[in-house]
Amino acid sequence: MFRMLLWKEWKENLWKLWFCSAASVVFTVILFRIRIIPDFANCVLISFIQMFVVPVIYSLDIFSGEMSNRTIHLLFKIPVPRWMLFFSKYIVSAAGIILIFLITGLLMEFSSRARETQWLVLLMTNSLCGIAALVLFTWFCAFGCQSRSEAASLVAMFSVFIGWGIVFFWSSICEVTWAERFVPYSFTLMRITKIGPVWTFLSHIPAFAAVLTIACYRYVGIRRYI
Amino acid sequence: MRVCGIIHQQICQLKWHLLACLGLIMVLPVEEAIVMFREGEGFFSDSMTFMAILFGPLLAGLIACANVQGDLDERRYIFWRSKPANVKLLITLKYFIGLVASLLVIACPLIFHIITNIIWNKVLFFKYYVPLPILIAIMTYSLCFACNVVVRKTARAWLIGMLIGGFILVLPFILPLNYRDFVSDVMFLKFGFYMAIILIACTAAFVFALYAAKYDWQLKTNLKVLLWVVAGLAFVLLMLFSSQVTNIKVLDEKQIDPSWGRGLNIFDYAGSNIVYQGNSYISTDKNVISISKIKSKNINSDTDYKSTLQPLLKGYHLYLYPQGRLLYKDAGNRLFLFNISAYYRTEVRGPARKRFYEKIYLRSYKHTGDSWMTVCELDISDCLTGNINTTRSAMRLIDNRLTACVNNSVVVADITNPEDLKIINKKLDVLKTYGTFNYKYRHKEFSISLLPIEDIEPEERIKLSIDLNYRYHYGSNDIYESSIVDVHDGRFSFFLTDEKDVARFDVTRWDKERIYCKFGASRPFTILESITGTPHSFSPNFVKDGKLYCYEDYTLLVFDIRSKVGIRKLGHFVRTNYEITGMAVLEDGNILLSIYWYPDFFTRPDFFTRPEKQKNYLYLLKNPE
Repeated sequence: MFRMLLWKEWKENLWKLWFCSAASVVFTVILFRIRIIPDFANCVLISFIQMFVVPVIYSLDIFSGEMSNRTIHLLFKIPVPRWMLFFSKYIVSAAGIILIFLITGLLMEFSSRARETQWLVLLMTNSLCGIAALVLFTWFCAFGCQSRSEAASLVAMFSVFIGWGIVFFWSSICEVTWAERFVPYSFTLMRITKIGPVWTFLSHIPAFAAVLTIACYRYVGIRRYI
Repeated sequence: MRVCGIIHQQICQLKWHLLACLGLIMVLPVEEAIVMFREGEGFFSDSMTFMAILFGPLLAGLIACANVQGDLDERRYIFWRSKPANVKLLITLKYFIGLVASLLVIACPLIFHIITNIIWNKVLFFKYYVPLPILIAIMTYSLCFACNVVVRKTARAWLIGMLIGGFILVLPFILPLNYRDFVSDVMFLKFGFYMAIILIACTAAFVFALYAAKYDWQLKTNLKVLLWVVAGLAFVLLMLFSSQVTNIKVLDEKQIDPSWGRGLNIFDYAGSNIVYQGNSYISTDKNVISISKIKSKNINSDTDYKSTLQPLLKGYHLYLYPQGRLLYKDAGNRLFLFNISAYYRTEVRGPARKRFYEKIYLRSYKHTGDSWMTVCELDISDCLTGNINTTRSAMRLIDNRLTACVNNSVVVADITNPEDLKIINKKLDVLKTYGTFNYKYRHKEFSISLLPIEDIEPEERIKLSIDLNYRYHYGSNDIYESSIVDVHDGRFSFFLTDEKDVARFDVTRWDKERIYCKFGASRPFTILESITGTPHSFSPNFVKDGKLYCYEDYTLLVFDIRSKVGIRKLGHFVRTNYEITGMAVLEDGNILLSIYWYPDFFTRPDFFTRPEKQKNYLYLLKNPE
């Protein structure tokens, strides 16, 4: 049954994968061909835009779509635990996000052919933004899994962006380094700031697990629409 | 149909979206103002206003989608279609009310910035950056509006609108319109074509939305495939006709054995020839780099270099100018070089080891088959004039006049016969005001002392005065071989850089004692440019043939300084795991770069302790025109 749920989510969200991949490929090819700015700057530009846009696209109707279409009634009547419903959505979205970043990162490496940077630098930079995007999406799940409309999902997602932005800003200003480690954006600055990669990943693992649990718990707890 | 009623209805419909967007856009400036206030600088917003304005186009698109969706979703649309309403009028009103709302949202951080900065008496930056994001916001609003009329789904319409908007923004760089620099060509809107594209896109989107609403056009499933195919074909065609815009093309690349030469990859000019590492000529015939040695004996280390070129004095250390480099004069078949040799003793005084400069010589050398030999030596120790603990030096060769500066003194020597140098002028303690680094007056006219040497041409005198004023550091400088002054049509301009921008200052007039200058224009560096490094005030920047060359670490930037649109970037060359150690501009405008490669982007090995890890390269780059 879980495989069928995954298949359903995959089919429903395939347009997001197509759209994001196509847009990413088009802009990567254009920018790496015309080279208005250096390759590394191109990579940072594309990766940062992706980091904010891809989670937004995935979070638009991943949960709220079922509610606005009223299919959540049907979904909850399927004889499977609700955590499976949640994880089918989450896994498909996460896979989509990873796939989009992987496609873009590989395309960047292929387009640049290490002409301005070392091999894998662009892929690594893009992947770090991809991880940040995945963490942001997970935080959105915790906040927005009970959203009833696309607009509410967007507000939840923007709240996550801005909220973490404020935490990051203040922790930098007040030099609270331990707080910086928990901010999803810290992945993108891992090579610039003094926070080591191991510490960054280790700090995020418990936070990531906790947020995912909260998101699942909140989704399982949806009652008022049944 | 009552127009006022519709307007009222639209405003009521949009007010929550407006407030939400306002909240989002004001978060950053207000947060910055709070931080500034906390740090005691005052309650004002600076750079975050620009960041907030950058979000403007995204939010304008959201407002457009919400605006359209409010009346064109399935149920309301049927309601409107059943009424004897003028669809075009309704859409027109919706469009303009939403547009005004979007512009209001963008205006808020700007107004906040202006008011708070005026209250706290800070410099307003908005004049540089504001017009373009506002124009783009109008475009994204129009595109999202039109997309939503056709797609009828908020999120998808927003995404498609943004995608088309992004494509329109890069379109001028793909088309053969000679767009190169985002800042000069686009951001300051000096090229009307870019503005025209945006305005045409807005108008087209609006007209399309009118007709789409009137005739109830909706994107059907079978049309999507067709649109994908058309978009794909257009993309492939554009890619076929596009080419590199700003990246400087590499014509040739040559790896140099690290054990070869002195290890320092430097170029020096010897007339029209380029000398590499002090021992070889470089030729670039047919765009191929070739090296030929100018002497059989190789100078392999800095110690050898000093012992070969400099007679050491017992008990003294030696400081040379040009530091690690050479000033050549190519006199037919004979090659000469000149330097300033400063001899100093060291003594431990308290916690520090102090230098005491005692002897300064201006020397000329002649190349004789295997090595160099000193042919003339002038004692100019009196130029120290009491300041014996530090020294700064500069030289410039102008025709047969060699101007040498030591501390605050200047000497002019006749080098018609380099084997017999003759001092023709000497002025002691006249350079006190030079090298003060108090540059970048942007708001008022300022003056620089004119070098009190009348033995050189006025043009060269002004150039040297400006160079000395800004580059006469206590340490190495490139005054002997390059200048930051551009002379064009009898007008003098000079260029200063820092992390923020490249600034042009124009010489307005001069008299017997002073040169009067004022700020002309600047070209700010963008955030993306700063990612790969921007030059700073001590970078070896120089001007040659109407171009400004700036290099720092692994980035070379070339600017057109005589462009009608101001200082315009012509090209960049970046190798993130390389270090640029020297560059020379050839007569045809091509560029020679000497660089070394290190294994990791962020952990550079020490140049001298781990030479085995480095690889030296020579690059020949195409003239960025």
